[in-house]
Amino acid sequence: MESVYYIVLVPMVYLAFFVLVAGSLLQIVKVAKRKRFVPTLKIFPEQKPIFLRVLNDAFLFPMVRRSAPVLWFFLMVFHLCLFLLLLGHIELIYDVSFFQVIAHDIFIGKGLVGLSILICLIFFLFRRFSSPVRQFSVPEDYFILLLLFLTAFFGSQMDWARTWYGYGELTTDGYRNYLTSLIFLRPDIRDIAYTGHSFMFVLHVFFANLLFLFFPFSKLVHSIFALPMNMIRRGA
Amino acid sequence: MEPKLHQEMLKAISDKLTGVMQMYLDTCSRCGICASSCHVYASTPEFENTPVYRAESIRKIYKKYFKLQGKLLPMMGEAASINDNTADLLKKTAYSCTGCRRCMVYCPFGIDTQQIMSIAKLLLLRAGSEPEILSMLADVSISKGDSIDSIKESFLKGLKKIESEVIKKWQTEAGKITIPTDVENADILYVALAGAHSIIPAAAIFNAAKESWTLSFFEAVNFGAFVGDPAKTQLILDRIIKEALRLKVKEVCICECGTAYRIMKQASGKQPFKVSSITEVHARYIREGRIKIKPISDDISVTYHDPCQIARNAGVIDEPRFIISKIAKDYREMSPDPKTNWCCGGGGGLVALGDETIDFRMKSSRVKADQVKKTGAKILVTACENCHTQLENLNEHYKLGVEVKFLSSMLADALMQ
Repeated sequence: MESVYYIVLVPMVYLAFFVLVAGSLLQIVKVAKRKRFVPTLKIFPEQKPIFLRVLNDAFLFPMVRRSAPVLWFFLMVFHLCLFLLLLGHIELIYDVSFFQVIAHDIFIGKGLVGLSILICLIFFLFRRFSSPVRQFSVPEDYFILLLLFLTAFFGSQMDWARTWYGYGELTTDGYRNYLTSLIFLRPDIRDIAYTGHSFMFVLHVFFANLLFLFFPFSKLVHSIFALPMNMIRRGA
Repeated sequence: MEPKLHQEMLKAISDKLTGVMQMYLDTCSRCGICASSCHVYASTPEFENTPVYRAESIRKIYKKYFKLQGKLLPMMGEAASINDNTADLLKKTAYSCTGCRRCMVYCPFGIDTQQIMSIAKLLLLRAGSEPEILSMLADVSISKGDSIDSIKESFLKGLKKIESEVIKKWQTEAGKITIPTDVENADILYVALAGAHSIIPAAAIFNAAKESWTLSFFEAVNFGAFVGDPAKTQLILDRIIKEALRLKVKEVCICECGTAYRIMKQASGKQPFKVSSITEVHARYIREGRIKIKPISDDISVTYHDPCQIARNAGVIDEPRFIISKIAKDYREMSPDPKTNWCCGGGGGLVALGDETIDFRMKSSRVKADQVKKTGAKILVTACENCHTQLENLNEHYKLGVEVKFLSSMLADALMQ
């Protein structure tokens, strides 16, 4: 079991991170190197200021709010939670004083962010079961939802265990030591792999690895292309 | 399927794979927001009528041959091979999309289904499964460009016959030609459609505005675009560009034809002349005081249908409203936001296919008919030939009780001597 834990927490993490970065860059390079479509693809009327409109389209989905307000609510909560979790993971590596504008423990929200994201994912899943979304959904859609759910579930369990159930063996210092050791290429999993509810941690990392490995080859690239595509639509 | 044809179809996809097309194909999250934005789905809620389903028909082929995921894990994205059934499937998807791009307005990423459907149309061409009539019409347009001298005489004879109709709307000044052709250094080259209805009102208004203009020998409509053939689209476009360059005109004015205007405006490249729609030119004449208008009776209500290719896709939105405001007091807007106005359901070559598509066009445009009915207007105005035909058909089918008019025709009727 120890070697399985090691494979998941060290080489698989490096591989996943490499595939995520290199694969995403490759996708960007491929798009950039393909021939350009010359005529404009923008939608009229032109509304100014264009760049602010683009940001609004890419991050606040105004037309989704207009046509499907319930979906919009869950999409906004989901993406906001993803952002907060990203900040939380950065704080796991090092303290960012700027993030403490609102004073909080590592991972803001006292576990509610994870809970919210899980509720959103359940909503997205059930929405896929209804017509007409069911008919044009493909296995990739369910697979990504499943990976996101499992990653978030085990990640949240760790946080809930620590903050709600009083499990103290796995500390934020333990996570930080592990992540720092990975960054400096001196992997050390002693603090986090063989103590307390570490199996949750291993599963969290395992599913996150799968997500990263799949990311550049899936529809998740929308996180990279949403902005340029919205720029094209606005003629920016 | 023959290997050669298979290769040709793959090359067709490859030719269409621009950077932006790759993003359109890679990014869709299949959220389905586009579904209710499509007039076809909104009118006949079947999943095959959603933009995302149409795009998936191409996306699955793209995954199979151009994407690592489709090669390693084909089940994930239901990657699909090109086979003997491909053309049948693509025909249903490509020709159920009018290319109105309303779904693009709603898509969180701005995916352009019309662009993706251009791959479907090109694959149909390669498979020889495109609607033949559209290809034939495109070929006729091209051959006209190759042998203009052979049609000149009959064209000029035809113009002579309609001169009296133009004069009825506006008395030509003494010594002036009512419908000038082949005039070098004219300010405007007007490109009309084959029918007299797109020449008579336009000629009357040009003459009323004392415009220096000349009529093109070619018709504006681009059947190459309808059938999705980039080479033919360009050849049809080039005839007009060459004529404009030969005559050294300052401006090419495209008649009330949405596709013709959008293609001329956006795909003709950098030229020494500017491209305008006739609606823009007419609005300019009114603003500059070059024509005077007698408004219609106050109790006649008017509504305007924005042709998708002219409004949402090319930006001519304020001008028609400005013209109507000078003609009619009781103007009723169809949609609070013109960019989300429903498509009439006749674009993308569907109207050109005539009776072959009439059932589908009527069923798929119920929402448009409802929108027109809701305005309660007596006159329904538009500025596109395809839209006009489709709206006439809708008027009859749904018993809307409106009079469908071209904007230019309405303006010509309102001219004050």
